[in-house]
Amino acid sequence: MAETLSYSMPLALTGLTFAIGIRTGLFNIGSEGQVYMGALAAVAIGSASLSYAGHAHIALTLIGSALIGMLWALIPALLKVYRGVHEVLSTIMLNWTAYYITMYISSQVLVDPARPEKTLSVLESSRFSTIVPGTTLTGGIFISIATALAYYFLISRSVLGYEISLLGSGIDVARYAGVNVRKIMIYSFLLGGIASGIAGGLLVIARPPTYAIYGTLGNIWGYGFEGIGVALIGRNNPIGIILASILYGGIKNGGRFMEYYAGIDSDLVKAINGLIVISLSMPELFRILGRLVRR
Amino acid sequence: MTTFHARNLKGISRAVIAVVILVVIIAAVAGYLVVTQQRAPVAVPTTPAQKFKIAIVSDIGGRGDLSFNDMAFKGGDDAKRDFGVGVVELVSKTEQDYIPNLRTAAQDPDVKLIVGVGFLLTESLVTVALEFPNKFFAGIDTSAQEVVKEKYKDKYPLPNLLDIRFEEHKGSALVGALACLAAAAYNYPYVGMVLGIEIPVLWKFEAGYKWGCNWALEWYKSKFGRDPPGIGATPVKSRVLWTYTGTFSDVIKGYTASKPMYEKGAIAVYNVAGPLGLGINQAVEEIAKARNLTRGPPFWIGVDANQDWINPGFVIASMMKRVDKGVYIATKLVLENKFTDVVKRNNGVLVLGIGTKIDGELAEGISVSTLQDLDEFIQMGINAERLTGKKVLPAPPEEIKAKVKAMRDAIPSWVWEGVKELEDKIRRGEVSVPLPLTPDDIKKIRDMYG
Repeated sequence: MAETLSYSMPLALTGLTFAIGIRTGLFNIGSEGQVYMGALAAVAIGSASLSYAGHAHIALTLIGSALIGMLWALIPALLKVYRGVHEVLSTIMLNWTAYYITMYISSQVLVDPARPEKTLSVLESSRFSTIVPGTTLTGGIFISIATALAYYFLISRSVLGYEISLLGSGIDVARYAGVNVRKIMIYSFLLGGIASGIAGGLLVIARPPTYAIYGTLGNIWGYGFEGIGVALIGRNNPIGIILASILYGGIKNGGRFMEYYAGIDSDLVKAINGLIVISLSMPELFRILGRLVRR
Repeated sequence: MTTFHARNLKGISRAVIAVVILVVIIAAVAGYLVVTQQRAPVAVPTTPAQKFKIAIVSDIGGRGDLSFNDMAFKGGDDAKRDFGVGVVELVSKTEQDYIPNLRTAAQDPDVKLIVGVGFLLTESLVTVALEFPNKFFAGIDTSAQEVVKEKYKDKYPLPNLLDIRFEEHKGSALVGALACLAAAAYNYPYVGMVLGIEIPVLWKFEAGYKWGCNWALEWYKSKFGRDPPGIGATPVKSRVLWTYTGTFSDVIKGYTASKPMYEKGAIAVYNVAGPLGLGINQAVEEIAKARNLTRGPPFWIGVDANQDWINPGFVIASMMKRVDKGVYIATKLVLENKFTDVVKRNNGVLVLGIGTKIDGELAEGISVSTLQDLDEFIQMGINAERLTGKKVLPAPPEEIKAKVKAMRDAIPSWVWEGVKELEDKIRRGEVSVPLPLTPDDIKKIRDMYG
């Protein structure tokens, strides 16, 4: 169970990114790139010796991750708002840009001189330690859940959340209601960027044992896109996303046992997992597609 | 106006709550199923007949790569055949899976030995080996004991942990010699190599290949008393064309990197990037088609496994890194109760190479492919065909063997003699192949051989 939570930790956050985009009427799939940038920031800040910071080192690292995730999301936001570039295009391209930037920096700049297949590991002071012995679950899960809860209240209880929902139900509706469409769109991107940036940060500082980025980016790769599935299962609701991420984590973690005890081929396990996710996300997917068609 | 919206919103949020509840139920049911299904089949396959099991936790990719991972599984299969042990496999899908996979295997009471395949598993092996002192752990290409030395000094060397490493530099020297002698025999000006991500392990390949090339041309001079034709006229520092592609998975890069090398006049390109060999193969096939060739030159050189069968007649040889032997030997050590003893005597590191020994018994892990060991690896291709349902073998096994034999026979025998002589010299310790460990070391090699 704890292992499952460990898998869901980043997924809840990347799910939020997609969900908040959909709620604003944006198909924001830039989470992947923002995760990379967040992870990169975490390595840069986390491996720097900030002796005076003490426990604040963790906080600093996470804030750095969130900020850089946000900045990375600002680019498609500005392109969308001022140049009308569709967010699907810009975010896909920026995902790859982030991928290669991260690859370059983690293999050339922040590389561990003794072990060039990975970056420097973040220092003890900016690591989350495991809370359940014998698993990889760390305190990072609390950050993840807290963020999702914060987003829940933001969306359901604040003016900004209300305006986001208005915009999501149609640009004209929102304009008619006097919403500053540009501003809200940008905010939506930025909020998404913050969540994914934190996800990237947590992948580095809250996942034993290396606390670093592998040169292949294998340990930070794929979460942005899996977040889409999580958001769809969770019906784009932050609370739903927390639950969906746990389900998703369970599926990912459980696959190992299918392979080990039932002797199922690992590729088939992946296919089964995919089927589960697709069938669960169908209703929401239809709803989104239906809305796009009607428009 | 606002009240209307607010009420409407309330309606929405009620719907949302309903949906959330639904999701909770689905999640709970699915979660329950996942949990129960994890547990249920435990009893079934663990028949009491197999008391001793080994577990192989692969790197990303798993079975079907026809090189590194498949070699590890082959080792497991061989151990099963010879010792009757049970073998369980766990394929890592991402780096996140290493630790849970290793733990899952270690928690199985029948599993005595867990083999982690690939240097990326280093930290994970240390973590799990510390948790399960009664289980044995072996890592292929890992440097786990160094991590132990650094972090848990009082426990070094960890008695239940063995790093198995290979002398890739020596094998690369042999194929380097082979490539450059072939270049002399066929009057080609260059040889090439395509590498993956620039990590220290690959420096060993790079240095060995360049050094071996140089050794071979010197050998030619002393044997025939004249400068070798073709490559002999090329300045020392530009004989080997080499590129780090920065990837171990992007097959296309194998093609784009090797194509210009062949165009420039490289007789053979050494594949040091796993699946990128298939890209190199594509470049060779294009040339073969354009010139209507049935066998090389041009050639390419396989790596890790015997890849000669992938395109018979165009793969001059392969530098075999016998990961399978690593798994096999580790199993044997556990069965004979020698594991901890060997760990203690060697500080937890077992090096397999040319002429390497354990307890005076030869335990080699590096060689240049021969016609004899082709069968074993054609079998690997047949297995891959069965697993994937795709056609892997380019021709029936007999035809492959005939083609490889024809190619080998067509190459002047002194080329093979040269390679053999180098191998003997390495085994007797008469020459030493440079082993680069630091950036300075590899810089020196590059200053010398380009």
